[in-house]
Amino acid sequence: MDTLIRLDDVTKRYDNGGRPALDGVRLEIAAGEAVAVMGPSGSGKSTLLNLVAGLDRPTRGTVTVAGQRIDDLGETGVARFRRQQIGMIFQFFNLLDDLTVADNVLLPAQLAGVPRATARARADELLAALRIAQHASAYPARLSGGERQRVAIARALVNRPALLLADEPTGALDTETGEQIGDVLLDLNRSGQTLLLVTHNPDLAARYAARTVQLVDGKIASDVVNGARR
Amino acid sequence: MRRWRAGAVARAARGGLARRRVQTLVIGLVVLISTGASVLALGLVVDSSSPFDSAFAAQHGAHLVATVNSGRATAAQLRATGRLPGVTASSGPFPEVTITPMLKGPPGSGGEFAAPPITLVGRAAPGGPLDDLTLEQGRWPQRPGEIVLSRDSGLGLPLGSRITARGRPGSLTVVGIASSIDQSADGWVLPSEIAALRAPGTPATAQMLYRFSSAGSAAALNADAAVLARALPPGAVLATQSYLAVKLQQDSGIAPIVPFVVAFGVIGLVLSVLIVVNVVGGAVAAGYRRIGVLKSIGFTPGQVVATYAGQVMLPALLGCVAGVVLGNVLAVPLLAKTATVYRVGTLLVPGWVDAAVAAGMCCLAGLAAVAPAVRAGRLSAAQAIATGRAPAQGRGYAAHRLLGRLRLPRPVTIGLAAPFARPARTAVTLAAILLGAITVTFAAGLAASLNHVAYGISHARSEPVQVYLESGSGSGGAIKHIGPSTAPPPPPPAAQERAIEAALRAQPGTLRYVAEADLDLNVAGLPGQVPVTAFWGNASWTGYELISGRWFTGPGQADVPTNFLTVTGKAIGDTITVTFGDKQIPVRIVGEVFDTNNRGIDVLTDQQTLAAAGNRPIHLIPGLYDVQLRPGISPTAYAAGLGTALGSGDQISLNGNDPFFLTLLGLIGVLTLLLAVVAGLGVLNTVVLHTRERVHDLGIFKAVGMTPRQTIAMVVCWVAGTGLVAGAVAVPAGVALHRYVLPVMAHAAATNLPASYLEVYGPVELALLALAGLVIAVAGAMLPASWAAGTRTASALRAE
Repeated sequence: MDTLIRLDDVTKRYDNGGRPALDGVRLEIAAGEAVAVMGPSGSGKSTLLNLVAGLDRPTRGTVTVAGQRIDDLGETGVARFRRQQIGMIFQFFNLLDDLTVADNVLLPAQLAGVPRATARARADELLAALRIAQHASAYPARLSGGERQRVAIARALVNRPALLLADEPTGALDTETGEQIGDVLLDLNRSGQTLLLVTHNPDLAARYAARTVQLVDGKIASDVVNGARR
Repeated sequence: MRRWRAGAVARAARGGLARRRVQTLVIGLVVLISTGASVLALGLVVDSSSPFDSAFAAQHGAHLVATVNSGRATAAQLRATGRLPGVTASSGPFPEVTITPMLKGPPGSGGEFAAPPITLVGRAAPGGPLDDLTLEQGRWPQRPGEIVLSRDSGLGLPLGSRITARGRPGSLTVVGIASSIDQSADGWVLPSEIAALRAPGTPATAQMLYRFSSAGSAAALNADAAVLARALPPGAVLATQSYLAVKLQQDSGIAPIVPFVVAFGVIGLVLSVLIVVNVVGGAVAAGYRRIGVLKSIGFTPGQVVATYAGQVMLPALLGCVAGVVLGNVLAVPLLAKTATVYRVGTLLVPGWVDAAVAAGMCCLAGLAAVAPAVRAGRLSAAQAIATGRAPAQGRGYAAHRLLGRLRLPRPVTIGLAAPFARPARTAVTLAAILLGAITVTFAAGLAASLNHVAYGISHARSEPVQVYLESGSGSGGAIKHIGPSTAPPPPPPAAQERAIEAALRAQPGTLRYVAEADLDLNVAGLPGQVPVTAFWGNASWTGYELISGRWFTGPGQADVPTNFLTVTGKAIGDTITVTFGDKQIPVRIVGEVFDTNNRGIDVLTDQQTLAAAGNRPIHLIPGLYDVQLRPGISPTAYAAGLGTALGSGDQISLNGNDPFFLTLLGLIGVLTLLLAVVAGLGVLNTVVLHTRERVHDLGIFKAVGMTPRQTIAMVVCWVAGTGLVAGAVAVPAGVALHRYVLPVMAHAAATNLPASYLEVYGPVELALLALAGLVIAVAGAMLPASWAAGTRTASALRAE
């Protein structure tokens, strides 16, 4: 399988003299893989996710996604790359409260200049697939946690990105809802979507990821294939 | 315990200041500029209410300027008058002399001109206990042969010019230009120079300056002058000049200017107050979440108020102090220009204005901080935190839906919808931009109208060139030619007319010309004599803009200015009686024109009105020709060519606008810019507050792929819509203000205005002015928009 994500000797420091958030990390993720990144608080999980998403830059080392060195791109370049190639899902959904569900989903497509009709059709398709089409005109504040996360997933997928990044996607949900969201992610991965999942929950990692990378103090402590995934 | 609590408040305030560096800087900057603008605005308004009085006090003006015969009263006797009862201060004696200045004519003329006599006073220095002169250009005389001219002397000579006194040897070089609040002299030289300038046989005179305890009225000053005359030998006091006469002349001269200065001053004050309230109040309101956190750890409502008052007052105090300094620094050149406009020596910002503005701004900032802090202090911690998050749910939803349907880039429609989520803040921002845009619209119209007025007074556009006959009966415009002693006498008037008209017809740049005679005649119902201008032919193009009625078309008709109608109580269609020689000539008023000559009391008529009177004891001949040029012809080049054709340039004069109008336009420009900057700062603050509130949303936008340029566009659009609306409203409001202020200014100058002086806003100008609000909004938003675009996405996403 082609390598979709490559981190070469990546180090990230937030202040001089302190321990680096990531320290010499080397990681490769192939296209179509589902990888969970685990570790205790402060291990560097979110930092790693931010670097892959281009939300931050490494202090040292290179980050390559879909063949593009994103640590080399300017802010405009990385924004354009992100909206085309990367979809992001967050623990607390990060939806825009003054836009409707449909508008939230359409936003990345509109920013990318996708024609109205095409974007609208894609959004409708995603809303239907995620079983939230009936909420298209509603505002996020009126939805349940699970519904909001589905909206976030739809938004993340509207531009058909090569990579889906999920930062604690079930962290703010109850167990049953969390499992439903997990199933959505599993289905996406089975249909070929590359998934990088950050979580502190080993059950989640085992259930929805084929591989688990363990981070401790900014370094990769282990990188194992999960045999127990459904 | 109390110290510990006070320490906690101080630490919390310090922490807030450090954490919100941009906010702190914006508060300080806004208070600084608002204070500076207020000091300037209030200073201008105060100085406009009585500029002469302000300048009189500052320059230690003298209540009475006396010219005395120093042959009849000794210097000791004159100095002793300073101790007379009622005299509070005196200065002098200063030697004085009256000379007839001889000025060089234009190049090639080979002659000199005798200007009207001027009075020179010998003073060793410009300063003194009374009549402190203001040196505006150059320096004070340091040696014989140097002169400082008064700005009001009428000679209008630049530094370096040379003047000779008729009948006296040597010359005087102009080394400085000064002004006297008392207009005590036309020029000043060293005291030792006076004797050399005095013509043999002329009695020696001296100038004394006095201040009295009772000098508030003409009667009081007359009494003071009588005491003075009795204290000196008989006949010693030759003449006295009262400061009240100078004040009357100055006040009536500046009366038209005061309304526009007051308008700008009031707008400036209102705008400054609005911006400070917006900025400071918004800063506290933006800290609601932090207030909630402080309350959750045990801060009492009183401590919350103290924390936020302290957090605001420190930058506000610094801004106030710096703003007073800024206002006074800006005031120096601006009030110098205003002093020129007002024709007083100097104007300063009164000390009480500095104190009042500083105290007012501090109180305003304090109140603007305390009010929302008290409100927040009363909320529970949870409520305060919840209120401090994004705007209340439900606001702006409809706007987002509607604007989202527009076929505009998505960042633009999102930005345009944002103001609807914060209606109160949007209203304040709208008001600030509106005031700034109204100022721009008003100023543009005012400048255009004043341009019309300048040309209406000077006729520089319609008759840029005037050609004078070398002598003419009753023609005030004729030049006395004093050439070299070997020069021949001027030709007879008829020959001059033929020669001038032939030259004008032959000159390629001539479009048309008309001869005129200027006489002083009696007009029934008016005291003294009235200037009457008689034209040979159609003169409707000579620059007298019609206000109402029509231009005269034949003898027996006349056009008059507004004040003529006001003073005489006449109207268009009424008849006046002009006395020409021994004939009473009825003349019907057919039109009202814009003319400020002789305070708007003169008569324009056809020369046949007077020539057809029958018995003509005075032969009426033209005194000058008014010439209009073809488009594109340079008046200077034309005058040179005409001078060559006539054999001399002596008789040709070029009309130009009074430099006073240029100064006025400069003043308008600076005031407008200052107010637009204050409005822009209000916008900047709004956008900074909004950016801070929506930092998490900004992170989301950037996370889903919004580029920096799209971010800037969105943030700018947060206020662009408001700017467009403000601009659209500002145009009619600014035009209305212009329509109101201009006639008020005109009435203060005892004239109406022609419609063309008011209708200065064309469709193109209006369309551009409508963009003023947008320009102010975008200019104020650009910096914070750039900051927003540069915000680290990861940090923004972590913000709550």
